[in-house]
Amino acid sequence: MKAKLLVLVLIAALALPAFAHAQDDVVTVEFWHTYNEVSPENEMLVNTLIPMFEAEHPNIKVESVPFPYGEFRQTILTALAGGEGPDLARLDIIWSPEFASLGVLLPLEDVMPDYADYADAVFAGPLSTNVYEGQHYGLPLDTNTRVFMYNSTVYEQAGIAEPPATIDDLVAQCDAVTALGEDYYIFSDGGTYGWAVLPWIWSFGGSLTDGAMTTSTGYVNGEETVAAYEFLKDMIDSGCFSPSFLGGGMDSGTGYFTNLFASIMDGPWMFPIAEAQYPDFTIQTALLPAGVGGSISVVGGENIALFVDSETEAALEFLRFTQSDEYQLKMSEVGQLTVKPALLESDYFQNHSYYGTFLQQLKTARARLPHPAWSQIEEVLTDAGQLILRGEASAQEALDMAAEEIDGLLAEYE
Amino acid sequence: MRAKLHYRWYTPYLFLLPGLALYVLWMIYPLGYEFYISFFDWKIMPGQTSEFIGWANYQRVLDDKNFWLALENTVRYTAVTVIGQMVIGLGLAVMVHRVFIAKRLFRGIYYLPVVTSWVVVSFLFQFIFSAHRGGLVNYTLIDVLHMLDEPVNWIGETNTAWIIIYSLGIWKGMGWTMVIFLAALQGIPPELYESAAIDGAGEIGQFRFITLPMIRRTTLFILVALVIGGFQVFISVYLITGGGPLHRTEVVLSYMYDRSFDRLWFGYGAAISYILAAIVVLVSFGQLRLFGQSDDADY
Repeated sequence: MKAKLLVLVLIAALALPAFAHAQDDVVTVEFWHTYNEVSPENEMLVNTLIPMFEAEHPNIKVESVPFPYGEFRQTILTALAGGEGPDLARLDIIWSPEFASLGVLLPLEDVMPDYADYADAVFAGPLSTNVYEGQHYGLPLDTNTRVFMYNSTVYEQAGIAEPPATIDDLVAQCDAVTALGEDYYIFSDGGTYGWAVLPWIWSFGGSLTDGAMTTSTGYVNGEETVAAYEFLKDMIDSGCFSPSFLGGGMDSGTGYFTNLFASIMDGPWMFPIAEAQYPDFTIQTALLPAGVGGSISVVGGENIALFVDSETEAALEFLRFTQSDEYQLKMSEVGQLTVKPALLESDYFQNHSYYGTFLQQLKTARARLPHPAWSQIEEVLTDAGQLILRGEASAQEALDMAAEEIDGLLAEYE
Repeated sequence: MRAKLHYRWYTPYLFLLPGLALYVLWMIYPLGYEFYISFFDWKIMPGQTSEFIGWANYQRVLDDKNFWLALENTVRYTAVTVIGQMVIGLGLAVMVHRVFIAKRLFRGIYYLPVVTSWVVVSFLFQFIFSAHRGGLVNYTLIDVLHMLDEPVNWIGETNTAWIIIYSLGIWKGMGWTMVIFLAALQGIPPELYESAAIDGAGEIGQFRFITLPMIRRTTLFILVALVIGGFQVFISVYLITGGGPLHRTEVVLSYMYDRSFDRLWFGYGAAISYILAAIVVLVSFGQLRLFGQSDDADY
């Protein structure tokens, strides 16, 4: 008797969730992203924006899944291969073409009837990073670029009055900074990946490929690009730039915040980080020092994309929400610059303490190659940079080899 | 109503079935499937079609200079760490075997690295060898021992990166060899040493002519097991250097992982792993043939 009762209770208990589910019909949407878990952007998403969205859409639940940036691309690709991918993801703009070429993203023109309205409301540059074979596989979520950030404490100690307007000015300031002590450098960056070296290449007037991305010979090994790498090598050899370009060593941000590095190049997220970890520190910004090619920085940012096999309608609702003024403004408060030109007219941006330099730098900034093979091309570029900076090959030799390899990669996609 | 006990031929197989089924599901099936993948230009995304390309992946691997570098690095890692673990492990075993008090304590201390997680100790070594002045090793060498003036970029330079990876491999494995050697030492009858002492054999003579021959089989077992393990080095390399700088600290498995999961060349990665498997089988077989013969005299 007792046993029978127990069985009945068990059956009832097992059946309950089914009833509950049938009643409220909540759709869960998984949103994978790389909003930095220890900085305020993730908090803004989880504690403010998602609750705001869920209040407006009681039948949709958004599950936020944060990943560290370095592991994200592989994790998401592996998950997708196993059929366990997200509904939506915030993708670095350099990943969009690759993901689209793998056939895992939905072309928004096909699934989103009001797509054109949203596309018209954002900057054309960031929007273009979503294009693959003529269709758009996402919408821009945030944009950014790297500007010159200088350390006023080090400048004062070294007797430097102004940030350098040109690369020559930067070189001229070097001795005053290195004279301060062994661990002092005029400038620091973390490696030879595209995000770090492209501003130098472009500011020297160089480039990676022709405009149509069909060949890199004559571009990545062209005179100007070679000059940019030779400059970097000279600066590291003479102790002006920090050896962290070779990998390892003190993190550029840490050296900057602890008054050892006179300047770095970085994005708007450094402000919330400074606020949280170095509250007494004031970041000073300027445009990148100009070379013969101008003051050219690199465009960063993220897109939001929808995956094949997603809860499409619910996911689209959240995607629309990320394009709203509310979402864009809230995220702009935590260092995620909006992609909507109309918002930049608002008082918030007009009177903003640090976005001014970024907006000005963005006018001339360029995007990394919007090519499906970018990750592989960047690996070739990173290795060539290491060979050069370590003195194991001349800039011309290393870049000639890189040109050959990159041409091969480009050819695979023709 | 007592059931008659009688033998049915399939009974033992029924007992084997659960374990065997799991083994087939989790080991044999993936292995076979991977072999299949290695003949395709394999596309991982659902809905894409993979093209059969025969032995082309194997051909490409064998033509890939990065693969050969990775293989060379793996062989060197195996040689250095296997010798290191065996020599230090045997030394520790002999010493621990001789202490009378706290034998368990010493055994435990030396065994501790074996049970710690590869991931945790890899990160730990990364911090210990970090490139700036504040890194433990740099600090010790510069500010305590005054042996260096400038901090060494341990992880960023190929040669010093190997020092980290080798020392982690030896440190983490020597406890295991010690425990196995210790068990073998305890199995040697003490009378042998007594009679040798009476015959005038000194410490070194006893070690050379009694200890070493008596633990020969154990030594062979450890050698084969460590060599197989050495060829499978992955976590430490992947986490500490990521194969860098310039793929120079890449080992076979880290290179396979990179090609598979970063470039998404899964057919290529599968071919690499089958080539590695073939090498490991050949090496192990060769070791058994070389050192394993005529051991009927052992006991």
